[in-house]
Amino acid sequence: MESTLTSPSFSALPAAPAALTQLRRTLAADALKLRRTAALRLTLVSGALPVLLTFCIYFFKGDIILKAGGTPWPRFISTAWQTAGTLLLPLFVVLLTSLVVHIETKATAWKHLYAQPVGRGAVFASKLLVILVLNAVALLLFAGLMLSAGALLGVLKPKLGFQTYAIPFEVVCWMLLRTYVATLGLLAVQYIVSLYWRSFVVPVGVGMGAVVATIALLQWEHADKIPYAAPLGTAMSMKMTKAGLEVAHELAKHEWYSLGWFAGVLVVGYLLLYRRNVTN
Amino acid sequence: MSATPLLETRGLSFRFGKRPILHDVNLHVEPGSIYGFLGPNGAGKSTTMRLLLGLLRPAAGSIHLFGHDLARHRVALLNRVGALIENPSLYDHLTGHENVEATRRLRGVAASRTAEVLALVGLTDNAHRPAREYSLGMRQRLGLAIALLSDPDLLLLDEPTNGLDPNGIIEMRELLRKLRAEHGKTIVVSSHLIGEIEKVATHVGVIQQGSLVFQGSLRELQQLQTGRARLVLETDSAETCRNLLPRLLADAVVTAPGALWLPWTSNDHTAEVAAALVAAGQPLYGLRLEQPSLEDTFLHLTEAKPELVRGE
Repeated sequence: MESTLTSPSFSALPAAPAALTQLRRTLAADALKLRRTAALRLTLVSGALPVLLTFCIYFFKGDIILKAGGTPWPRFISTAWQTAGTLLLPLFVVLLTSLVVHIETKATAWKHLYAQPVGRGAVFASKLLVILVLNAVALLLFAGLMLSAGALLGVLKPKLGFQTYAIPFEVVCWMLLRTYVATLGLLAVQYIVSLYWRSFVVPVGVGMGAVVATIALLQWEHADKIPYAAPLGTAMSMKMTKAGLEVAHELAKHEWYSLGWFAGVLVVGYLLLYRRNVTN
Repeated sequence: MSATPLLETRGLSFRFGKRPILHDVNLHVEPGSIYGFLGPNGAGKSTTMRLLLGLLRPAAGSIHLFGHDLARHRVALLNRVGALIENPSLYDHLTGHENVEATRRLRGVAASRTAEVLALVGLTDNAHRPAREYSLGMRQRLGLAIALLSDPDLLLLDEPTNGLDPNGIIEMRELLRKLRAEHGKTIVVSSHLIGEIEKVATHVGVIQQGSLVFQGSLRELQQLQTGRARLVLETDSAETCRNLLPRLLADAVVTAPGALWLPWTSNDHTAEVAAALVAAGQPLYGLRLEQPSLEDTFLHLTEAKPELVRGE
C-alpha cells in the first residue's frame, strides 16, 4: 500500500471508473461533439456523389450501355461501386478521420481531455469507434442511395428494366462487408497520423499523397499490400458472369492485408502515443 | 504547525528535450488554502500545472495528490480535480450548454450539474448561444464552469483572469473566496501579477526560471517585504557621513552625492543614526522610511538569478 503519510480526511483513494465505464462516458461525450460538424455532414452526403454520377450516366446514356438487354443491376452496381472505390472512398476516409480528430485539436481540447478522469486508452478507443461507426454509416447510406437510384430509374426510365429484375442483395451485402474491411487499413493509418501530428493539414496531405501515389502504383506486383489500394481492389473483384453479378463470399488477400494494417498500425500507434507529453 | 499537504511535489524536474524547464520544485499546498502560484511569463507555471495533471511526464521527482502518487493513480485522482489550463478548451460549434454537457458526460456527473455550474458562473442566459460568439471573459467563465462540474476538492486554475475586464477579475476573486470559504475547496491559482494574488491567496509560491524561490503563507511574504524596508537619508555629502560614522553606516549605499540608503532594522537604530549625524555636525535634510510594495518584493524574488537554476 501507499507509504505516504496522509491525513484521514483524504487518505482514501478515490475510486477510478472501470475501463468500460470510461469508454462509455467518452463515447457519450464524443457523440455530442459531432453535432453540427463537417465530419457528420460529410458522412451523410459522401455517398450521394458516386450515386448521383452513376444515376446521370444511366439516365442519359442507359439505353446505349444496356443495349444487350437483360438485368441492368449488375452493370449499374459495379459502375457505382467502382466510382466510389477508386478515389472517393479512400478520400472520404482520409477526410473523415482528419475531421473527427480535428474536433479536439481545433478546440485545443487535448489538454482538457487528458486531464479528465478517463484513461488515454478510452480516449483512443472512443474516437476510433466513432470513426468506424461513421464509416459504416456512410457505406450503408451509399448502398441505400444506390439501390434507391436504381429503383428511381425503374420508374423514370422503364425501358432500362430496373423494375423488372431483382436486386442482387446478396452481392450488395458481401460487397458492403468486404469494402468496409478494405477501408480499415487506411483508416488506421490516417487515424494515427491525425493523432500524432494534431493538425488538419498534415493527415489530409499525407492521405491525398498516398491516394495519388497508390493510383500510380496500381500495376506494381505488391499493390495489394498498400492499404490505400484496397477499396479499389474490392470494387474490381465483382465479376459479371452470365448468371449475373458475382462476388467471392470470403475476404480476398488485399482485404486480409487491410486487416493486418489495421491491427498493426493501431497497436504501434497506440504505444507511440500512450506515453507522449501533452503540450497543446 | 503544518497540515498534511493536499498537493505535494517532491524534487519535481522537467525538461523539453535537453532544455531544463523545472528544477527541483517542492510544492506544498495545504488543504483549504488558496495557493497563489506566481512567476513571470515563461518561469514554468503552466508546465508545473500540466505536470500536476499528469499531462507531462516529470524528468525526476514525484507528484502527490491527496497523499497518493499521481503517476500510479492518475485516473482515480483526477476524479477529484478540476482544472482550467491556459485558454479554456471550448468547442466553438457547440453551445455553452453543450460544451459543459460534453465534459459532464465524460466525467459521469449528475445531469443537474450542467445547469448548476452555468448558473454559478452567470452564463445561464447565454447557455444556448454557440461558444464561438462568446467574449473572452465569457469563455473564461465557461472554462471555470467546466472545471467546477464534478464539485472537485482541488481546483487548478492557470491564469484564470486572463482576458477578463476589471469587473470580471473582481467577480472571479469573489468566486474563488466563496469556493474556499463555503465549499472548502483547495485552489491553486497561477498568475504573473502579484496584485491579483495578494487579494485572494492564503499561501504563495514564487517560481523563477524553473525554481521555487519562495513558498509560504501570504503573511510570510509580507514579512519578507518588511525585512526589505530601507531608510533614505538626505544630507550634504553622503561620502563624508559614511566616513564619520563607519559603524552605523557600514551597510549604507551611496546612491547620490547627497543621499544614502541603509537597511531599516529598528526605530532605535533610526533615531541613533539621526542623532549621530547631527552630533557629527552634518546637515540632515531628510530622513524617511521606504517600504517596498509587495510588487517590489515579487520583482526582487524574480530577478534573474541564474545561479539558482544552474545546479544540474
